[in-house]
Amino acid sequence: MLLAKIALGLASTVAFAAVYTFREGVIRVDVDEFRAGGSHVHLWVPAAAVPIALHCTPRNHLENAAVKIQPWIPTIRQLAKELEKYPEANLVEVVDGTDHVQIRTHAGKLQIDVHEPGESVHVAVPIATLEDISSQLTENIPGA
Amino acid sequence: MFNRTKLFVGVSLLSSMVVLASASAAFAQSGSSKDRWLHVRVINSDHKGEIVRVNIPLELAENVLPTISKERLHNGKVNIDQAHMNDVDLHALLNAIRTAKDGEYVTVQSSDQDVRVAKEGGRLLVHVKDNKSSKSNKSDVDIKIPMHVIDALFSAGKDELDLVAGLHALALQGDTELVSVKSEDSTVRVWMDSKNSSDN
Repeated sequence: MLLAKIALGLASTVAFAAVYTFREGVIRVDVDEFRAGGSHVHLWVPAAAVPIALHCTPRNHLENAAVKIQPWIPTIRQLAKELEKYPEANLVEVVDGTDHVQIRTHAGKLQIDVHEPGESVHVAVPIATLEDISSQLTENIPGA
Repeated sequence: MFNRTKLFVGVSLLSSMVVLASASAAFAQSGSSKDRWLHVRVINSDHKGEIVRVNIPLELAENVLPTISKERLHNGKVNIDQAHMNDVDLHALLNAIRTAKDGEYVTVQSSDQDVRVAKEGGRLLVHVKDNKSSKSNKSDVDIKIPMHVIDALFSAGKDELDLVAGLHALALQGDTELVSVKSEDSTVRVWMDSKNSSDN
């Protein structure tokens, strides 16, 4: 009976964690070089982990980043807020011969896709995460 | 014990459903708003056939522009350098156009170019047709700007263009084509409608 309780507790925790992760979304970065010895990078990071990772980042690094990006923080924050209203939108698309660049929102994520012969890059970031990152960077601006 | 387990599982399921339902509700709500979209499409008919499509929600542009502070753009307004206006008093010129009746203001017909500037149905129309002999230089430019958008653009002051006010005025407009450029090697189209894609 005790084992059943522990198993149920674990299962519930995993279920809650899965629901939380699903709700917050996943940051996805895929880079593929289609050539001999080309690199293939596939990175999936739960968006819920980003604020935690930012908290663990050395303060001086965060301050540096915050100072550099400071003039654009209000724009990023506002853009994230606005993009949340448009979960499915093709914002920019450039097709140049075999090259293809697309910036769009899809399922509440900001997606950037670049395809060119021999290389493709796919980045997808939950829009809410952009807002979280800009908020955390704002908090780290020296003297703010 | 069994009842407590059932209760726990029930609460877990209910919590998951509430989380998913709130996400769905947010999605449905965002899809039903009356959005106005500004579209830009550039098609190059060279051998590579470059195509550029930009679709921007007007509300997004209206709300994001004021946050950008770069060079001449501040608080959604662009500073116009009067030194480069050749001493033309734009406000006086616009006021004269605003109060004038509909009609053709400028008509130039030459072997090189046909130019027509007119006011018609509350819109300022500019049409430039290039008649140059070289095929690749031929172009047809049509610009149609609602007068109230021009008024809003120049509402900030003498040395400023109020882009946010212009966009706001544009959002009140129905579906409309603003700019069309057709030449042998490219076509450019800027228009506004309520679709979030530039398929047409």
